[in-house]
Amino acid sequence: MTLSLSARNVVKRYEGVVALSDGNLDVNSGEVVALIGANGSGKSTMSKIINGVVVLDGGQLLLDNQLVHFTSPQAAKKEGISTVFQELSLIPQMSVADNIWLTREPLDRFGRVKRKEVISRTQGLLALFEGTIKTDLKPETLVSALPPDEKQIVEILKAISVDPRMLILDEATASLDSRQVQRLFELVRRWKEEGKAIVFVSHRMEEIFRIADRFSVLRNGKTVGAGNIKEVTEKDLVKLMIAKDSIFSFTRSDSKKTEKPVCLQVNDLHADTLKGVSFSVTEGELVGIGGLRGQGQRDLLLALFGDIPFSGTVEFAGKSIHFHHPKQAMKNGVALVPGDRNREGLLYIRSILENFQLPSWARYGFPLKMGKARKDAEKAGVNLNLKMASLQQPVSSLSGGNAQKVVIGKWLLRQPMLLLLDDPTKGVDVGTKAEFYALLTRLCEEGKTILFYSSDDEELVGLCDRVMVLHDGKIHAELGGATLTKEKLIAASLGVSEEGAQ
Amino acid sequence: MKRFSWNGLTARYPALFALTLLVLALGINFLLQPNLFARDTLNSNMRVFLPLVILAAGQAVVILGGGIDISVGGIVSIVNTILATRVGLEGSPAAMWQYVGISLLVGILAGALNGFFVAYLRLQPIITTYATSFLYAGLALFILPNPGGGIPTTASELYRSSVPLGLPLAFYVIAIILFVWGYIRSTRYGNFLFSVGGKAQAAYETAVPVTTIQFSTYVISGLMAAFSGIAITMLSGSGNAEIGSAMTLNSITAVVIGGTALSGGIGGVAGPMLGAITLGFLQNIISFADIDTWWETLAKASIIVAALATPGLINLIRRRRA
Repeated sequence: MTLSLSARNVVKRYEGVVALSDGNLDVNSGEVVALIGANGSGKSTMSKIINGVVVLDGGQLLLDNQLVHFTSPQAAKKEGISTVFQELSLIPQMSVADNIWLTREPLDRFGRVKRKEVISRTQGLLALFEGTIKTDLKPETLVSALPPDEKQIVEILKAISVDPRMLILDEATASLDSRQVQRLFELVRRWKEEGKAIVFVSHRMEEIFRIADRFSVLRNGKTVGAGNIKEVTEKDLVKLMIAKDSIFSFTRSDSKKTEKPVCLQVNDLHADTLKGVSFSVTEGELVGIGGLRGQGQRDLLLALFGDIPFSGTVEFAGKSIHFHHPKQAMKNGVALVPGDRNREGLLYIRSILENFQLPSWARYGFPLKMGKARKDAEKAGVNLNLKMASLQQPVSSLSGGNAQKVVIGKWLLRQPMLLLLDDPTKGVDVGTKAEFYALLTRLCEEGKTILFYSSDDEELVGLCDRVMVLHDGKIHAELGGATLTKEKLIAASLGVSEEGAQ
Repeated sequence: MKRFSWNGLTARYPALFALTLLVLALGINFLLQPNLFARDTLNSNMRVFLPLVILAAGQAVVILGGGIDISVGGIVSIVNTILATRVGLEGSPAAMWQYVGISLLVGILAGALNGFFVAYLRLQPIITTYATSFLYAGLALFILPNPGGGIPTTASELYRSSVPLGLPLAFYVIAIILFVWGYIRSTRYGNFLFSVGGKAQAAYETAVPVTTIQFSTYVISGLMAAFSGIAITMLSGSGNAEIGSAMTLNSITAVVIGGTALSGGIGGVAGPMLGAITLGFLQNIISFADIDTWWETLAKASIIVAALATPGLINLIRRRRA
């Protein structure tokens, strides 16, 4: 049952691009090792080498001190290495139970899958997350019908269902809410005691310090540090990751706000999950939307963008508006950075240029003035400090942080008045996050208004002038100034009343 | 109470739409041809529909696995020309059986060639099988340049008029296919098929043998095309290298009517088989409705387009009302 895995000087190239030039990692049974690094530093590649999804070009992989060479996921699986994939390895058209037991279905003597057993075993697994998932998540539910957090949980259960010797959690907490993360960590501790080796890949510092025993930091494809988590601070790790100090200390512009006109006035907004939301935002304000995942934040942003039908009144820039289609919102200077970057925000396999200009082609005449379009996109890329080889490169080849810059950039090219952001820093590395914070602050100073949902409480507290906390489709609390603290925000997210939080 | 939802129902029973359409077609057909449900009429209808039903079943497997097979018509033609030229009108039963076996082998080989290109060389299924369709159709023309040849009348009689236990032969064939499919669906292979068609990358990461599964779907489709070719040869009793060319598109139409998504991973095989029967009855209706032959294609195509568009239209209207 015990296992020790060690990757030494691993090299991996993708079509000439070096993803990993000197990757090292040691993991043993009964410990949690955090694999840390900025986006594009090679974390995902490292985990894919260990689980056999990609084959290494150089270096060695030692399993229990024996040289191994995984050429397929099957090979790694046979050795008891199981992975929770960042992009999820679930088949949307299949049920939860069929997904979890795929390739390991219990069979009867005619080779038929024992459906009843599959269902009952799945129920046993779902019980692990009992209380943190909705009751209508059943073994028979189709995966495509699940919200992102429950898909993630199914992915976790699928990985653990093989009873692996080693479990790789690649950004497994990115779409979970705090209760679900809490439960996952309880389970991880249990698995650790059972003698499983666990690799924890994450961007969230706080989580790394909560769960990891040891760490290993990657920077630009090289392992630049490893050790015991107890002997380092958050700052030390960040320094290792970006080789630059204090990226987190972004400054909030506390410039004296002169009385600005109201930009957005929302009254009694009702939509799918929204049960009457009213608020107003003044020009140049950066207002946060907080709360647990799925309390109506997404619907609020979508309704304002005209993407879903709603009732209630909305006044925007002095006019009463009711958008029925995103194109009306776009025309009026509203932009939305959606929550699911790859699916909603980008034409994933198309070029950076096309993605940048997609909402703006109408401005380039007929036939399209490609020279000007390219120049504008180039400029946007430089402004956003986008790391790219050329504008023709497909967006799919960019790291998460850089891809998100393209999503924001395509709207900034249209000079919007109101920016709606749906968890824009999800799966984005700290370096890029800091750039985002600076960018958002700058945009507000330029007079743009920003409505900003984030699942990262620290971000809301550090960045926003004001945070509206949604709970069960309503604004449960509004925090600002002295009342805007992490403790109060978390208390309000959980639905605790103001008095109770004191 | 849950509101009635057409989407929900069709998601759960992908064959429902095909069934509705079939009942409609049967009704209209019955009005035009009152003896429709007489045993002889039923038998003659079913034996005409059977080749397409078999072909649609094979096509459905490929499409479920995320591919498509444009070459099935070519395979039907090859099998037809082989049987018609090698067995001949005066052939012995032994020769018939021998060449039926060879035909099945040819179908498997043709399917394996498609599968090799698509699964192992990672070529686009639609282009690859379009190209091989010419290869197979060309081979059929090479074997039998002009319509002719034939199989012993005993063989075609067996197909045309045997009614074991009072039911047309076609019913037994359909029942066997459905039984085998039901079995396949309940095995691990069934799960693999749906996973590969649903999301191949995720299936690969879950250690599903994606390449082997993709390959196997084309072999199954080739084999079913061979069965279809044997059936159509027994039906017509003669050879014609063009016989399969119209069947490819019909098989795909049957799959779509049968509620199996062209994107893969959703649906089944029963629906497409119902779809093929429905297409057959549509053809019947048109011939009974005394439509001039030159309007036939147009009329048939209109009905198919309308049938395909109906679920989408229903949804559109519902959305507008909401």
